[in-house]
Amino acid sequence: MATISVPLEGGQVGAPERPHLKASDLLRWSVDHKIIGIQYMVTAFFFFLVGGTMAMMIRMELLTPNLDVMSSGSQYNTLFSMHGLTMIFLFIIPMFAGFGNYLLPLMLGAKDMAFPWLNALAFWLIPPAGILFMASWLVHPPEAGWTMYPPLSTLFSGDGQTLAALAAHILGISSILGAINFIVTIKNMRPPGMGYWQMPLFAWAILATSILVVMATPFLAGALTLLILDRIAGTSFFDASKGGDPLLWQNVFWFYSHPAVYIMVLPGMGVLSEVLSIHSRKPIFGYKMIAMSSMGIGILGFTVWAHHMFTSLQPELRIPFMITSFFIAVPTGIKIFSWLGTLWGGKLHLNGALLFALGFLSMFVIGGISGVMLAAIPFDIQVHDTYFVVSHFHFVLFGGSVFAIYAAIYHWFPKITGKMLNERLARVHFILTYLGFFFTFMPMNWLGMLGMPRRVAYYAPEFQNWNRVVSFAAFVLGISTFVLVYNVIVSLRQGKEAGANPWRALTLEWATTSPPPATNFIGDPIPYEDPYGYGTDKANAYLDEIDRRFGVADEAPMPRPTAPAPAPAAGD
Amino acid sequence: MQQNLMEQGLSRQEIQALRNKRTGLAIFQLSWIMTFVCLSIVNLQLRNMAPTWPPPGVDQLNALIPTLMTLVLIASSFLIRRGTKAMKAGESEAFLTNWRYALGLGTLFVIVMAVEWITVPYSGQFSDVFRLMVGFHGIHALVIGWYLWRVYRNGQAGAYGSNHYWPVEGGASLWHFVTIAWMIFYVVLYIL
Repeated sequence: MATISVPLEGGQVGAPERPHLKASDLLRWSVDHKIIGIQYMVTAFFFFLVGGTMAMMIRMELLTPNLDVMSSGSQYNTLFSMHGLTMIFLFIIPMFAGFGNYLLPLMLGAKDMAFPWLNALAFWLIPPAGILFMASWLVHPPEAGWTMYPPLSTLFSGDGQTLAALAAHILGISSILGAINFIVTIKNMRPPGMGYWQMPLFAWAILATSILVVMATPFLAGALTLLILDRIAGTSFFDASKGGDPLLWQNVFWFYSHPAVYIMVLPGMGVLSEVLSIHSRKPIFGYKMIAMSSMGIGILGFTVWAHHMFTSLQPELRIPFMITSFFIAVPTGIKIFSWLGTLWGGKLHLNGALLFALGFLSMFVIGGISGVMLAAIPFDIQVHDTYFVVSHFHFVLFGGSVFAIYAAIYHWFPKITGKMLNERLARVHFILTYLGFFFTFMPMNWLGMLGMPRRVAYYAPEFQNWNRVVSFAAFVLGISTFVLVYNVIVSLRQGKEAGANPWRALTLEWATTSPPPATNFIGDPIPYEDPYGYGTDKANAYLDEIDRRFGVADEAPMPRPTAPAPAPAAGD
Repeated sequence: MQQNLMEQGLSRQEIQALRNKRTGLAIFQLSWIMTFVCLSIVNLQLRNMAPTWPPPGVDQLNALIPTLMTLVLIASSFLIRRGTKAMKAGESEAFLTNWRYALGLGTLFVIVMAVEWITVPYSGQFSDVFRLMVGFHGIHALVIGWYLWRVYRNGQAGAYGSNHYWPVEGGASLWHFVTIAWMIFYVVLYIL
């Protein structure tokens, strides 16, 4: 038997004192990355509920072909604009920043992020931006969609558009500061024995995401600056009648916002790599390919922006962007097949985390395929601005990012709180979410191909049946969220104890108590040589050592040494 | 490098913090230079769209004074670099002298470009985008210049030494950023 590496140096046996997190801790300035991470997550989840409420109102409006809930089409415009902006800028991006903050230093065996103070600043920029954003309801919320195309956003949208643009500006700065912190932490603070190729894949995903953030977000800042100047300073950069160019906005905006699509999904892909490997007790298939495909997506992500503009672009530029858009499916495909390879022959523990990860796998593939369809110019021109597009991006953003966020919540909740989530409720949550999601967004494909335009409160009466299906499924999807909320509240009070390492996972965040002490680790943790080396005697010895150091909860969810050893890795 | 720092009596944590600051600042600069690239692209696209650039009846920008100012800025960056090197070697006086001249040149640059900003006649997109770019750069020059001034004053009070000069190093690095950002704008505004 090979030598056993121990998770922690130093002779201390037994758990250090566990901190007890109070709700009031979340309201104060703290430079502890764990508290900041939770602050991000709670804030983002709050905005998820806000944005979700708007989605429910949209679906109520669309139950009938006529205007009934909203007082005017203009009010409907504000609703879907605010829904999109909230979900993207105030939910998905900060939510993943929250997981990155909480997990990255732990995964790297570090005591905190590289710049703790900057980290806190990056978080505390979000609440004022959120307030500024919501304050736009008081004046006149933006009506130009989340893409804020001029002249809609310059000539036809109320003062709320200015506030929303300012808020997005602040959120952009917050993202850049957060991303700089992530990159420096990954580059400089890895422990001895953890080269780039021994990093958990979540850290790789955060690295790729952060590179996208630092390189692309300045373009959003530039675009928003021009927009704000056009709105309040009398310039006319986007006004064609005065020598400006509306296409200028589209170019600069999408040069940020297409990479932003990957900013929203890459961390989710990182979550999936962790969850699939751990809960199927198998080494990850194609570690290097998954890591490099994150980078590949990051680089290719900068070359495809104009596929959002096929109908407005000079025709001679369409073909190159069609080709790059097809290409970007390749690294994503590499990931999908690697994940399937990971699952193949594994011993699947179908708990909440793995169920949502499998949900991601299935739904994201549908979104990916409709993405490739949209990359084909003739098809894109046919379904441009229809519900097909709405379906596509919800399949990747909800079916991808949100399912990954759910998987991450089920997977890391025990580490963050020290309590297990209720698995029965997790299953109810999954089934409602999965079915609600599928029947909300799948019929939108048919509606889009039949020609139902997006962003309009009225529609042709023959679309009503499918719209009813969509709306009812959306209500189920909305309700499913509260199953999770209920589960979290109940589990925080009376959930089972998690113990340090309930999933018997090899990454370093599990080699400390749940929740971790203020300094994360007592002593410097020693990473296991392969973060996904499940199924070997050496890995089991390492995991047993963690159990011995920190103890095991009474009802641990993964089989322990007394039970039959995990199935040996097959197929590799 | 690590060995040098150890010899200068820095602890492991201090070395780590210094490494982090250096990497962090470098990444910030790489990121923030993209805003300048973005505005350059904006300029080029507006120019492409316009039938004539500058518009009929408007003179091309006179490049003579801005060219001189570009040289002034490059010279200031050079002096900042010399001063920083002197500080690393522990020569506080040489640091102060170099930075004093550099700050003088930087101030000259900002004042002259502010006059250019004010005096450019209004001509729609052409002057708007000029003002946007020069103004955007000017704000950076002012804020970072003000920071350099603070560092200079602290230097006069003897706050830095050969083993403690991060504010000097960081400020210098930011001033080089101002210079490089201006060179991008200079090419776009006056040469292309």
